[in-house]
Amino acid sequence: MSESVFSPGIDPPSPTLSARLRELADYLAAPTTGRLTEEQRALSLGIARRMVTDVAARLDPAIDPAALWNDWLRGGLPSAARIAGLCFARAEEHRWREQSAQRSSPPPLLSESEAADGEGIAVGETLSDLDRTYLAVQIADRRRFDALGNPAVAIADLDSEIFRTLLLDIAAWRLAEVSKDAKRAAELGDAVRAETERQAAESGIAEAGRAYCALLGADAGEAAAAAIARHDWPVLIALAAAAQRRSYDDMALALLTAESAALPSLFAPLRLDHIALAPIEASLAMLPARAVSDADHGEFRTAEGAR
Amino acid sequence: MNERVIRGRIDRSGALVSADAPLLRLQQRAGAGLDKPLALPHLARLVTLAQRLHRDISRPLYAADDHSDIHALVRITPDADGASLEITDWRTRPLVQPHIPPISEVAVVPQSWTWECDQQLRIVALRAASDAPPLPEGWEGRSLSEVFELQPDDDGRFPVLRALARQARFEGQRVRAAQTAMTLAGEALFDATGRFTGFRGSAVAEAQPSTGQKAGGALVDPAFGSLPLSDPQFGRRIDGALRGPLSRIIATAETISGQFDGPIRADYARYAGDIAHAGRHLLGLVDDLADLQNIERPGFKAARDEIDLGDLARRAVGLLGMKAEEKGIRIDAPRTDDRAPATGEFRRVLQVLLNLLGNAIRYSPENSQIWIRVDRDGDRATVTVADQGQGIDAEQQAVVFEKFERLGRTDSGGSGLGLYIARRLARAMDGELTVDSAPGQGARFTLSLPARDVG
Repeated sequence: MSESVFSPGIDPPSPTLSARLRELADYLAAPTTGRLTEEQRALSLGIARRMVTDVAARLDPAIDPAALWNDWLRGGLPSAARIAGLCFARAEEHRWREQSAQRSSPPPLLSESEAADGEGIAVGETLSDLDRTYLAVQIADRRRFDALGNPAVAIADLDSEIFRTLLLDIAAWRLAEVSKDAKRAAELGDAVRAETERQAAESGIAEAGRAYCALLGADAGEAAAAAIARHDWPVLIALAAAAQRRSYDDMALALLTAESAALPSLFAPLRLDHIALAPIEASLAMLPARAVSDADHGEFRTAEGAR
Repeated sequence: MNERVIRGRIDRSGALVSADAPLLRLQQRAGAGLDKPLALPHLARLVTLAQRLHRDISRPLYAADDHSDIHALVRITPDADGASLEITDWRTRPLVQPHIPPISEVAVVPQSWTWECDQQLRIVALRAASDAPPLPEGWEGRSLSEVFELQPDDDGRFPVLRALARQARFEGQRVRAAQTAMTLAGEALFDATGRFTGFRGSAVAEAQPSTGQKAGGALVDPAFGSLPLSDPQFGRRIDGALRGPLSRIIATAETISGQFDGPIRADYARYAGDIAHAGRHLLGLVDDLADLQNIERPGFKAARDEIDLGDLARRAVGLLGMKAEEKGIRIDAPRTDDRAPATGEFRRVLQVLLNLLGNAIRYSPENSQIWIRVDRDGDRATVTVADQGQGIDAEQQAVVFEKFERLGRTDSGGSGLGLYIARRLARAMDGELTVDSAPGQGARFTLSLPARDVG
């Protein structure tokens, strides 16, 4: 992914001295604390940009997303703290998945005769309800990428409050950009209301996961174990989120920042033993620069939620 | 595999005293063995660490042998007599990855869609670049072939279906979607257990809409009349569409006939054998029709390879020797120093020889003999296949090379196209295929090709 290494959007302007000094002061205050890597920054920023662009397109297709993003890059994102967790969770999930894809075993090599025999592999067979719900999880997951395969947040997956906040921020920017006449403001207000209602009716990966988990019933643990063995992390997160009645992003963040000892409790409703959980532990242990959950994280969220 | 726990035991001196097979194999590859010091540096360091800390540790383990990297998770439990090892999630990957350029390089193309499907070709993702044709409604979960109308390639095949069978990448699959001609390319996807999970790739709009191959006018074939089979495009699609189901029928029928899944009534097994036989016949017919279509295409040309008819004859014998043995037929093949250098397309000449030899075996009595001789006659190199079958009279010789001519036979042995195709191929290579026979004296088929002088 090119955006993993290059900063998306525009070239950042030269830093101001005060910004640099603030940064250094933060660093000197805690020199041994690990910082975000460039990859984590770039991924999170790219995810935020795609999310802002998508929300802006919904609000008003006439909005120039590049102009909006350039303005926000210079001035800072209005809801930065609110969307930080969301963007970080998605970025970390993406890093994890990319790592798993790179480390997975190579596919078996088929001999010519096996290949020739298999030319008529059955396709397009009727789907069972279980297959259909599994397929729905996959489709919902793939909506969490842009056209070039970069990680993104699907609007259907957005928390309704965050979505509404983004709509309002973008509407305010739009109003400042075009004019402040009352008619335009009323139109944007209507658009925010309509889009909020539309988004509330949409279902994303969390709903797809819940439907899949409900249909699996007592077999959910087995399906989760199979997903672990296959390193099918989105299906695993969706199942765990459904079993714990949490949102997908919340579950993803909890899992990606979990200490090894916390894994069994995260998957307790799915009744997975430590052997089944070992691949998760191994895979997370290999993820470089992984953040580990702490008590402050909860406080950070509470404080941001209260804003 | 990765769910298994691989166990091992280290004694107080750091020697590996017991180990499950994968761990022992790795230790042996590293030049050590049982009761020898642990020869895996990373694992040895972790064991030392656990012993120093006097507590269990779980860590990722990296190891390598001479042809693969190994990643696993190891749990080390130290005790007074050494330490116990529990290794899970053992995964290997070869050191040399096949060099396959990623599809993502071609994914960033204007006017393109990107797509992903599962192992049953159901679309799970479809996204359009900003300037690409709009996406069709309701693509979610639909079959790839519903969203993209697949078109066969020049050989009548569907690259995506071949790739599905081979679980490999593909490119150049022509399709139509959203009233646009597009070309699909895709990479095969696999999960961590090595299971094929589908394809991901791009669909790039073609610069110009495909006009198909009807521009030159449909060929009207006396055998097929005005049937659409005379249209090459249609023929290729039929070929592609029939081959898969027929292969399935044959494979299933053979499984039943061979009673691989348990005993069944003998007559049922026999019926299944008949179905497999008929299926193979139909598949042969599809092959012949595909060939027919190919060689009757205007401008069909065979390659001019430098070949040796002696070598090709021996190859043909090698391929059909078993079939002959089943009937107790002895084949007298050219000796290894019998050479007849000629010019012709290697695989086409082999095809002709396989046809001649196959016919000879099919129509020869049991425990008879077949001769194959190569020779040089002026500027022609020849190969002759002679059998001890019932022979062909003069009248039959006049028509034996006709299309669909089976000399009155009604069994399911052939399509009546083989010799017609063989002669067409011979002539396309500036050669000739002739027959010389008399009733009761067997038949001699001779393929002659331009001889090649070897300096």
